[in-house]
Amino acid sequence: MSQRPTNDFERIFEELVRDEMTRRHLIRRGAAGALSLSAIAYLAACGETGGGKEESKVIPKGQLSKTLYVANWPLYIDSKNPNKGTLGKFKKKYGASVKYVEEINDNDQFFGKVRQQYDRGSSGGRDLHVVTDWMAGRMQRLGYVQKLDKSQLPNVQKNLLDKLRHPSFDRNRDYTAPWQGIQAGIIYRKDKVKRTPKSVNDIFDPDYKGKTTMLTEMRDTVGLVMLGMGEDPETFSGVDPALKAIDKIDKAAKSGQVRRFTGNEYTKDITKGDSWLIYGWSGDAIQLQADNPNIDFVQPDEGWIYSNDNMQVPVGAPHAFTGEKFIDFVYRPEVQAPIAAYVNYVTPVKGVKEILEKQDPELASSQLIFPSGETLKRAKIFRDLKPDEERKVNEAFQKVIGA
Amino acid sequence: MEAATATVRPAAGRGLAIRIGRRLLHHSLNVYAALALVYLLLPIAIILLFSFNDPRGRFNFVWHGFTLDAWKHPFAVEGLGDAMRTSLEIAALSTIGATILGTLMALALVRYQFRGRAPTNFFIFLPLASPEIVLGASLLSMFLNLGVALGFGTILIAHIMFNVSFVVVTVRSRLIGFDRSVEEAAQDLGANSVQTFLRVTLPLIFPAVLAAGLLAFALSIDDFVITNFNNGSTITFPLFIWGAARVAVPPQINVIAAMIFLVTVFAMILTVWQQRRAEKLASVRPEPEPVA
Amino acid sequence: MEAVQRRKGLLPYLLLAPGLGWLLVFFAIPLGYMAYESLKAGTIDTGFSFSWEFSNYTHAISTYKEQFVRSFEYAGLATLLSLVIGYPLAYVIAFRGGKWRNALLLAVILPFFVTYLIRTLSWETILDDESWVVDTLKAAGLVSNDGRVLDTTASVVAGITYNFLPFMILPLYASLERIDHRLLEAAYDLYGKRRAVFTRVTLPLSMPGVVAGVLLTFIPAAGDFVNATLLGTPRQAMIGNVIQSRFQVIADYPSAAALSFILMGLILVLVLAWARFAGTESLMGSEPR
Repeated sequence: MSQRPTNDFERIFEELVRDEMTRRHLIRRGAAGALSLSAIAYLAACGETGGGKEESKVIPKGQLSKTLYVANWPLYIDSKNPNKGTLGKFKKKYGASVKYVEEINDNDQFFGKVRQQYDRGSSGGRDLHVVTDWMAGRMQRLGYVQKLDKSQLPNVQKNLLDKLRHPSFDRNRDYTAPWQGIQAGIIYRKDKVKRTPKSVNDIFDPDYKGKTTMLTEMRDTVGLVMLGMGEDPETFSGVDPALKAIDKIDKAAKSGQVRRFTGNEYTKDITKGDSWLIYGWSGDAIQLQADNPNIDFVQPDEGWIYSNDNMQVPVGAPHAFTGEKFIDFVYRPEVQAPIAAYVNYVTPVKGVKEILEKQDPELASSQLIFPSGETLKRAKIFRDLKPDEERKVNEAFQKVIGA
Repeated sequence: MEAATATVRPAAGRGLAIRIGRRLLHHSLNVYAALALVYLLLPIAIILLFSFNDPRGRFNFVWHGFTLDAWKHPFAVEGLGDAMRTSLEIAALSTIGATILGTLMALALVRYQFRGRAPTNFFIFLPLASPEIVLGASLLSMFLNLGVALGFGTILIAHIMFNVSFVVVTVRSRLIGFDRSVEEAAQDLGANSVQTFLRVTLPLIFPAVLAAGLLAFALSIDDFVITNFNNGSTITFPLFIWGAARVAVPPQINVIAAMIFLVTVFAMILTVWQQRRAEKLASVRPEPEPVA
Repeated sequence: MEAVQRRKGLLPYLLLAPGLGWLLVFFAIPLGYMAYESLKAGTIDTGFSFSWEFSNYTHAISTYKEQFVRSFEYAGLATLLSLVIGYPLAYVIAFRGGKWRNALLLAVILPFFVTYLIRTLSWETILDDESWVVDTLKAAGLVSNDGRVLDTTASVVAGITYNFLPFMILPLYASLERIDHRLLEAAYDLYGKRRAVFTRVTLPLSMPGVVAGVLLTFIPAAGDFVNATLLGTPRQAMIGNVIQSRFQVIADYPSAAALSFILMGLILVLVLAWARFAGTESLMGSEPR
């Protein structure tokens, strides 16, 4: 059972702890605390962590605050300056200055860093964080996020894309609201491949041995390979289909077919020609094309993996109500449009395409930003895995990618 | 250099060969060292080069064209300058802290026989051996349990912590075989322990302390894993780069790196100039020429 | 007489106190917490509870033997290479640097200012499959025609070597610098040959520096994971990668902690073995006075 600030005193304490202290004060405090003889005592006290959590209450209506701490991924907003762009508009409308920190580079890394605080019911000052679907699911399971008050989110209710309304990890969107969507598919070098790739299995073509890379993001890689084996990542049952796919990946890695497994680093490889056909993300492809017009992105015939980075309000967020206002604010099409134009990922908000059509018709017609029709039909959202399933699949995958 | 050649003169031909051989050896050593230095600085050259690149997209991997744009607006990337400044501050402070703590420890460990000396000697190696990810998380755990706010202070504490061992090991190697007779002479002349240390010992071991300090500085300014756990929301340069570089590598990063390089070169020239002045002033008492 | 001895008695502890205190608080206590964590069982979802789970250790050793061995191989190789590359450079700086000495030392740590990622990206630029460097290597026969330099064992070891080079050079310099030049002059008078002077005087006197450099390179290199991640394939995975993965991705904190202790233990055993082999003097710098 974790402690959450349940009364005013604890809330005040959390604020005090969170606020900037002078460095001297910090060190003195730290030293004093450390010299106390409670070392053994606290070792014993911090025994239990994790475990099932109870249902959280909905965020109560509150007052708008003067500041808001948003933790997000890099390059996911038009400007980080609280007085410019989207944040500037938010400040104008609601009076809150956003402290926008791009501290999330990797779901697991962020989780590893914040989980101890979240477990104690403190958000470390954060009012919003943005994590991918499956991590959002884990945050909910562990009770690390607060339930959203839908009555405060009319724009979300109205404008959220239909495809995203009932994901398996948060059936009623009680805890999450997508920030941006990501397409995982094939990125390739037009000048290096023998023909335009159409299938996810093209990555296993021996002609491309040593010139392919896959993603370390398990659900994207395994999902794509599963599609190539006739499985549906959205609806498969048990873990066997996933494990079979991982086995296929293992063989490809051992034989050298797959050169390596990467995060965003694949961008360098394919730009330089160290790789020719890879699994990658749509947003990067758009940027890469500017550097090298021979680079293109394709949604394979069997399907592509659609995931989202979701906004959540962590436990102990000091300004949860204002956070909700922010979530709702970015779901106005006119506010979302500049974000979509800058970020170049898949916007979750309806109505943005029409706005951008007037400003930048080429952008508006891109299937990478506004997948529609046939493309959208092939989109697959990897289903939510139960904890023990996730563990099994993760372990198998990690072994393959070298850990 | 040939001052100490054998007094017996070999036959003229052999003598020439030997002299040439020796010259070659002498120069080849310099060449080898120069190559090593080039090897060290090769990436810097690439970084410098690409700071002048005119990238078309968000990445700076392929050379497109020469431009001074990035140099004209070096701080155009939001947060880059602040991150660098924070890193430099932390590095400077943690270097001073770790160097002082570590040098004192090295002195104690080398010169005195005391109880617990052997275990302490081994204890010093432990921080070097422990994987940063687990150490960082454990340190975070301790900070949270004590209710310490995460930020500049906690980063600084962590950096001093992992730097101390490096300083101890480096300075210790210098203290071994240190000729105590100079200190004894000073004490005979009436200096107390502190004076002896400050005016005799410290200047003599200064090169090692400097080397240790440089090492600590480098470690601090480059640290990612431990800093990532204990930083709260304070962004240091490595954190910024690791985050940003996943999505974009603007040439401004190269420009900042180049600027640091230039500042360091300037500092280097300064030390050379300063050393020259010192030599000129000391020219009244010439030092024996180094043999090697 | 007694007063002096008593003061001497306290002095080492006084010198030791600040540094040791700092380490005890900010390292030993977290280490203790790590040890406590390593004996827990459970998962992130069911919670972790302390249960003297020694199986974490036995399981770790048996499952990841390969990565442990590989880590020590890579670290050893990288240390050797650093020594070979670094010793001459340290020597030249110490003996022939003159007024450029401090400047050159600064140059040695210069690469660290640009963060690991940027350094590595630069190396990747230099060594990518289609660079002229690799083409030259292929022409020279050092790389097979359909081979590559990046994402191989060679690139991982090269990466480790490069990034730990200053850790070797600086301690070497610290120890070489103190060699009294008059000693060398005397040695020349005695032996007459440059090589003899080196092997009989310079090298032995620089041993503490060699030992320090080797330790400061090998020990952290054994736990490294970034080089294997960015410059290697799954076949180059080191124990650091395993620990990283178990901690961050699997969120299996007990086993990550257990692996860390096993790594630390193995390293210390190696250091102890070397101490016995090389003689504790040069290792510990024991100089009872």
